[in-house]
Amino acid sequence: MENIVVKGELLTDAIPEQKLSSKDNKIITDLLPQEFGKAGKIWVGILTAICLVGAFAYYRQLRYGLIVTSMRDYVSWGIYISNFVFFVAISLVGSLITAVFRLAGVKWGSPLTRIAEIIAVAAIIFASLIIIVDMGSPERFYNLFTHGRIQSPIIWDVIVITTYFFISLLLLYYPLLPDIQILLRFKEKTNKNLYKFYAYIGSFWKGTPEQFRLSEKAINILCITIIPVAFTIHTVTSWLFATTYRPGWDSTNFGAYFIAGAFLVGAGAVVVAMYVFRKAYHLENYITESHFEKMGRILVLLAMLYLYFNMNEFLTPFFKMKESEAEYLNGLFSGNFAPLFWFAILTGMIIPTIILLFKSGRKPLPVFIAGIMVVVGAWFKRYLIVTPTLLHPFLPMHDAPASYRHYFPSWEEWAITLGSLAGAMLIITILARIFPIIPIQETITEHHETAE
Amino acid sequence: MKQQNKIITGLLATAFLLSAHNCFSQAGQKGTLSIGVNYYSSNNQVPRVGIKVKTKVDGRFQTVGGIPLKIFLDKDSTGNLIGKVVTNEQGEASAYVPPALKAKWGKLVKHTFVASFDGNKKFDAGTGDLTVGKAKIVMDVTDDKKITATVFEMKDTAWTPVKGVDVKIGVRRSGADLPVNETPTFTTDSTGSASADFKRDSIPGDNKGNIILVAKVEDNDQFGNLSIEKSVPWGSKFTWVNTFDKRTLFATRDKAPIWLQLIAYSIMLAVWGILVYLVFNILKIKKLAK
Repeated sequence: MENIVVKGELLTDAIPEQKLSSKDNKIITDLLPQEFGKAGKIWVGILTAICLVGAFAYYRQLRYGLIVTSMRDYVSWGIYISNFVFFVAISLVGSLITAVFRLAGVKWGSPLTRIAEIIAVAAIIFASLIIIVDMGSPERFYNLFTHGRIQSPIIWDVIVITTYFFISLLLLYYPLLPDIQILLRFKEKTNKNLYKFYAYIGSFWKGTPEQFRLSEKAINILCITIIPVAFTIHTVTSWLFATTYRPGWDSTNFGAYFIAGAFLVGAGAVVVAMYVFRKAYHLENYITESHFEKMGRILVLLAMLYLYFNMNEFLTPFFKMKESEAEYLNGLFSGNFAPLFWFAILTGMIIPTIILLFKSGRKPLPVFIAGIMVVVGAWFKRYLIVTPTLLHPFLPMHDAPASYRHYFPSWEEWAITLGSLAGAMLIITILARIFPIIPIQETITEHHETAE
Repeated sequence: MKQQNKIITGLLATAFLLSAHNCFSQAGQKGTLSIGVNYYSSNNQVPRVGIKVKTKVDGRFQTVGGIPLKIFLDKDSTGNLIGKVVTNEQGEASAYVPPALKAKWGKLVKHTFVASFDGNKKFDAGTGDLTVGKAKIVMDVTDDKKITATVFEMKDTAWTPVKGVDVKIGVRRSGADLPVNETPTFTTDSTGSASADFKRDSIPGDNKGNIILVAKVEDNDQFGNLSIEKSVPWGSKFTWVNTFDKRTLFATRDKAPIWLQLIAYSIMLAVWGILVYLVFNILKIKKLAK
């Protein structure tokens, strides 16, 4: 540790004095990570408590086995897999905001890139964890590598999630390097441990043109790489379902349907985070109303796109109403799952579209509300993709008790699921505490470019 | 003393109530069994007796497992015991006529099979019986693929052809017997014979083209169930190709198709190659600081 400190001190001496304008100083002061206030501490405390309850529920699952869940012969993928699909979907936002915007030359999106990347990293971590939870005994994860078959979409998913996690991590790390240099220079505004951490991960960054060139090249490569990998992760996740012959999953449309849904929920999560961080850290000058206006337009486009895919997914089977699928479809449209189904369609797509179609609906608060609706609707939509289909196989199972034909998650499943959601939010919160939530160096550069 | 009397009275009342409840519950729960008896003679070999036990629950028959039964030949006596059986989950049990009863079997041309149940806590005692005449079925085939099944019954000491018996002639397949032509059942004539032309020329047989022909009499009131089989080389030769060891999408991991491995591993190599390059790029940036 001492070496790091020494290194840090040397570094501080080594950095040539740059002449920072008062505006630059203001940007740095505004965007440096801030300690948690009272509300922040309460927020972290609540999330930690939910995580602990989830951890206790997981302990019970490890001790007594998957019998503590409500998953049985019919519904063998319950709320855990719904949650997994939700996390995978939300992680797509990293590639949308960072890569697509960057490659398309969309400059206004740069203050949102870090938020998007942090959400992507947090979501993909918990997507991986929730799969291990769903396996029951965690050591089975090891068996996936030792006995996995390359012919199985499950293995493709394991490979592509691992790959996406590393790409997201690199895409978070590379653009952070110039900001870490700034964080190290403002030693007095950070605590000792964080300073050591910054020095450990980025003290080598001097901001030389050659370093910038290599970093820019790496970010460009990452942006190009992450798009096909992100499309693959969502397509492969959809194939977990589509390659299984069941009502509701037997579709060639599933890959595109999942990607459209993932873009929507990812964008929804970003606008929610934008609003919260803007309020909490007083970032009104950096995340402006214009950002909400533009993200609102993107959100409405994505909501309508996803609605279009939903119509494709449900209208043609509804029109044909094959006998083998009738029970499943009627269950969704007018049966047991109808309230949830229409709630997901209305809340996740139609109402946000109506709100965001109007100019006044694209102000920060309405966009935030629409974002929350999109995210909540998306979670229930994933539940509806998984559970009703499993309850309606083409052939009924033999000797299965009648109770197996219904599914409602046990308290352990709810606790673990809520714990994972809280865990993802905790990671986002902690990363926002450690790193600048808006890229400082990029903002200063843009400011200079605008001034010129 | 008063206290003692109260305790004794209480105990007696409890004992009375318990015994009364026990009596009522037993009387209410006992059911009646229906014991069905069937007779089977396959390839004119050792006869077999089949039992099916059912009971009525809510107006519908349900099979009953775990019922112990004794099966007798002709009369319920120790010397005529065919065997003791217990019904399975489908309410079924069966027993072959043992060699010890061969002499008794040969003496008569008609026999009665008796299945008796002694009763238990759930069901009353009951019996079932079936009387059948000794009969056999013979099958002949000709080169022009004509099959003739002849039914004989034992009269006095001679096998006599039987007229008017329904016979099914088919080919044994894995699930059921397939009729040899479009006629499902044939009736024997005055010579006891029923003939059928074989119309299943392309049917797969074993690796030599052998198939098994079956002629059978089912649930006949006089003779029970009779059947006979004969192997004939009338099928097409079938060579089973084992795909278990081939490279398919459904094979084990070491038998993954080459094309899939090439595509999957080259994509992985390319993407992870880029990631490794980017990690080395960080080291390169680090070096530039020195």
